[in-house]
Amino acid sequence: MRARLPDRQDVVQRDGVHVAFEVFGQGEPALLLIPASPITHARSWKGIVPSLARRFTVITTDGRGTGRSDRPRTPECYAPAEVTADLLAVLDAAGVDVAFLVAHCHAVPWALCLAADNPERVAGLLAIDPAVALAPPHPHTMEPDLRWADRVDAPSGWATRNRQFWRQDGGYREWIEFFFGQQLPEPHSTKQYEDTVGWALDTDAEAMIAEREGRAAPPAGEAETLCRRVRCPVRVLHGSDDRCQPVARGRRLAELTGGDLVVLEGAGHLPHARDPVKVTRLITGFVDSTTGAPMHATTWTRGACRPARVLYLSSPIGLGHARRDVAVAKELKRLRPELEIDWLAQHPVTAVLDAEGEHIHPASRWLASESAHVASEATGHDLHCFQALRRMDEILVANFMVFQEVLEEGCYDLVIGDEAWDVDYYWHENPELKRGQNVWITDFVGYLPMPDGGEREAFLTTDYNAEMIEHIDRYPWIRDRAIFVGDDEDIVPDTFGGDLPAIRDWTTEHFSYSGYITGFTPPGPDEVAPLRTQLGYRDDELVCVVAVGGSGVGQALIDKVVAAYPLAKKAVPELRMIVVTGPRIDPAAFPQHAGLELRGYVHRLYQHLCVCDLAIVQGGLTTTMELTAARRPFLYFPLGHHFEQNFHVRHRLDRYGAGQYMDYATTDPDLIAAHITELAGQPVSYRDVETDGAARAAQLIAELI
Amino acid sequence: MRARYPDTDGLLVRDGVEIRYERYGEGRPAILLLPTWSVVHSRHWKMQIPYLARHFTVVCFDGRGSGGSSRPADASAYSDAAFASDALAVMDAAGIDSAVLVSVSCGAFWALRLCAEHPDRVLGSVFIAPTAPLVPPLAERRVQRFGEVIDDPAGWQTYNAHYWKTHYPEFVEFFMGRIFTEPHSTKQIEDAIGWALETDGETLAAAHRGLECCDAAATRRLAAQLVCPVLVMHGTQDAVRDYAEGEALADCTDGALVTLAGAGHFPHARDPVQVSLLIKQFADRIRR
Repeated sequence: MRARLPDRQDVVQRDGVHVAFEVFGQGEPALLLIPASPITHARSWKGIVPSLARRFTVITTDGRGTGRSDRPRTPECYAPAEVTADLLAVLDAAGVDVAFLVAHCHAVPWALCLAADNPERVAGLLAIDPAVALAPPHPHTMEPDLRWADRVDAPSGWATRNRQFWRQDGGYREWIEFFFGQQLPEPHSTKQYEDTVGWALDTDAEAMIAEREGRAAPPAGEAETLCRRVRCPVRVLHGSDDRCQPVARGRRLAELTGGDLVVLEGAGHLPHARDPVKVTRLITGFVDSTTGAPMHATTWTRGACRPARVLYLSSPIGLGHARRDVAVAKELKRLRPELEIDWLAQHPVTAVLDAEGEHIHPASRWLASESAHVASEATGHDLHCFQALRRMDEILVANFMVFQEVLEEGCYDLVIGDEAWDVDYYWHENPELKRGQNVWITDFVGYLPMPDGGEREAFLTTDYNAEMIEHIDRYPWIRDRAIFVGDDEDIVPDTFGGDLPAIRDWTTEHFSYSGYITGFTPPGPDEVAPLRTQLGYRDDELVCVVAVGGSGVGQALIDKVVAAYPLAKKAVPELRMIVVTGPRIDPAAFPQHAGLELRGYVHRLYQHLCVCDLAIVQGGLTTTMELTAARRPFLYFPLGHHFEQNFHVRHRLDRYGAGQYMDYATTDPDLIAAHITELAGQPVSYRDVETDGAARAAQLIAELI
Repeated sequence: MRARYPDTDGLLVRDGVEIRYERYGEGRPAILLLPTWSVVHSRHWKMQIPYLARHFTVVCFDGRGSGGSSRPADASAYSDAAFASDALAVMDAAGIDSAVLVSVSCGAFWALRLCAEHPDRVLGSVFIAPTAPLVPPLAERRVQRFGEVIDDPAGWQTYNAHYWKTHYPEFVEFFMGRIFTEPHSTKQIEDAIGWALETDGETLAAAHRGLECCDAAATRRLAAQLVCPVLVMHGTQDAVRDYAEGEALADCTDGALVTLAGAGHFPHARDPVQVSLLIKQFADRIRR
């Protein structure tokens, strides 16, 4: 799911060629983001658009030859004059008189032409890794480029940038895969690599060849003249490890235009993809330095006069975090009554917080929905949560930028992030942005590959784990305290992959253990019977509660359980089944049976779970641990490809001796009915779930402030 | 020792009054740190100058009646017009065509006059804890009777011409305590008392009388003519000029208001980092 959808999606047409553009936001001034098309398109800006669009009007174009634009096949169609005319047409169509231009690589000459020839339309130019012939190209590209039109036998490396080779079967893809491997020299860039290769494959060899031959980039002398004609403010960003364009070009561009140069040490050719936070801030800073930072009515409170303030972030993926975080916050306020706690949170966490009277920061409304993204990633009884998290990259960076602004304006002493992946990741990537103390809370450590993901998935999870470990080794001061919700034995016996350490050893070294945090106290033995009566359950019936959480994921499981119901009912006549479908699944869509009740919503569902005779649930940690704490028998079906449910949660439940693991794929209604018959109403012998987890976590946090 | 010494300083003479000024640093725009009431001289900017001078040309001068400038005896020498003319003369002497003005307290009067009457020389104006008699004075100051003889005056009653003839140091001590309402302000209070004792009660009384014409109507009239960007900052714990004065000035100049929660009347001395950053941010915006 995209972090932000465009407010307008449109095309301009010039001489029969359609060029697509999108408009986001409505602030002043306008920014026109110009990708190096057609090898890439508007989506290459995904890491920076959402946060820029909160302040500015942001216009992105695909550029002729790719994306939603047409793909003309003749070189003349890609002449610079055509491209700049497209861009002016886009500005006209968007109703923008003057814009800042942000251009990448070989889009920079187009932006320079626009700025030189139409100075009244361009307020400033920010060039990223400019491909302008102001200095010699990299030696490794010179020889291959001379042979661009030659027939080259079995080329490799840069020599695959060759017209004949691109026309061979698989040749263009081979070039693209080589090229973007070169452009992302930063370790742990797998997602950016997959993205950029994918966008490059949105076009084809013929459009690429036509563009390359029609590009007519100005040679050295003309390029200098062009730069000297630019009168608007200029900023150049250049990665020190850019293997496409030498830094000398960026430096010379800044000199000739009187602009400033920011060298991004250690960065490659795609800093807007790999270091989106820094690039966003450099763009915003450039606009501010040109137009002046806005000065709003504001309040600055003297340091001595400030109340101690906490900004609490609770992961919206699953409702379990909300309840445990409220419990921790209540314990924290008990220890430190003077604390003010603001929550930066999104639906559905906000529903829990509202009900508890907690204060939700108004900037929460800017957050892109993580739970909607996860729901969009699920199909049937399957959610590949590792890939879903990877594909959440643009949502995470968009939400991080909201968080960082809140933090910089809000004078917080402490940040608590319960699986706030955005804060943890981007503070380690941009450590200079950290402010205040930081507590990281999680209930699992380590990405684990699903067996059917093969070597590739094992490589990816290892790479993500390695990046996390390197982050913490290099910047141990980013997490002032890391709390694992559970105990060391709850941690899987696996390693982080490859040569990386055992997860349990590493976690013990880097975390404090709080024990499990339920967020509620289960009813005691004497309280079960009255609560059952209160909820309308009789003593002589066996109540089976089926719950699938609030997202749309769950229909498949309900189908199977409902199919099992008649079989189970035959074996267990006193069976009564309550199926809670959640708000997104229509209860009327299932067959009707006597003793089977389908409900869209059940108020205080956990009370029902606490007194039922059997529960059938997915493999989420919160619900299964609620059942464990309440000592109820239950069947749990981890979502397919959900490594956390399949490995981490299952390991923990095994330790507690709780629940019957079920494999959705191989389970049929007969097997479900057999388990219902066997387990409903039977006593359990689970390990006790601790009840002091929230207090222990709060104590660990309170020690910091 | 000072953190930074002026690159040039000098004395200029205008209508027989000597004005001592200093110039620091290079860079555009120039920033003119205006004098306030003559109870203190230009050293009250000591916390701003070294920082701002690394980025901008900074000019300051001792207001007439204070520091190294003359102490004319006649109240008419202390009109807002006189201070404004001094500022222009200092800009000329320092080679500054135009500048961002920064004023504190009743320095707002001359800043307003410069903005309204010499818009070509003013790029923008920052008002810190401005005296802007657009709202009633603070309740505790309503006991003031400047020209009357008061027996055993206390508190704001010591703001009194007769009392200053004999008890000027006692008034200064009281007054500086009201400027710095923030806890732990001993050094700032000692500094300000020291500067205040470099002038005398008679001079200060003349300076006070010279400003009696600066009323609500005059303020409103000047503010209405103002065209440059404006930033107002005002402390919520200001016990000399009500926070509402800053609000009112921001309102009638269409300026940005920064509320300094918990700050007193001299935030540039007590919270120098934040005030300097705000001045720089404002000046950066002007530069473009």
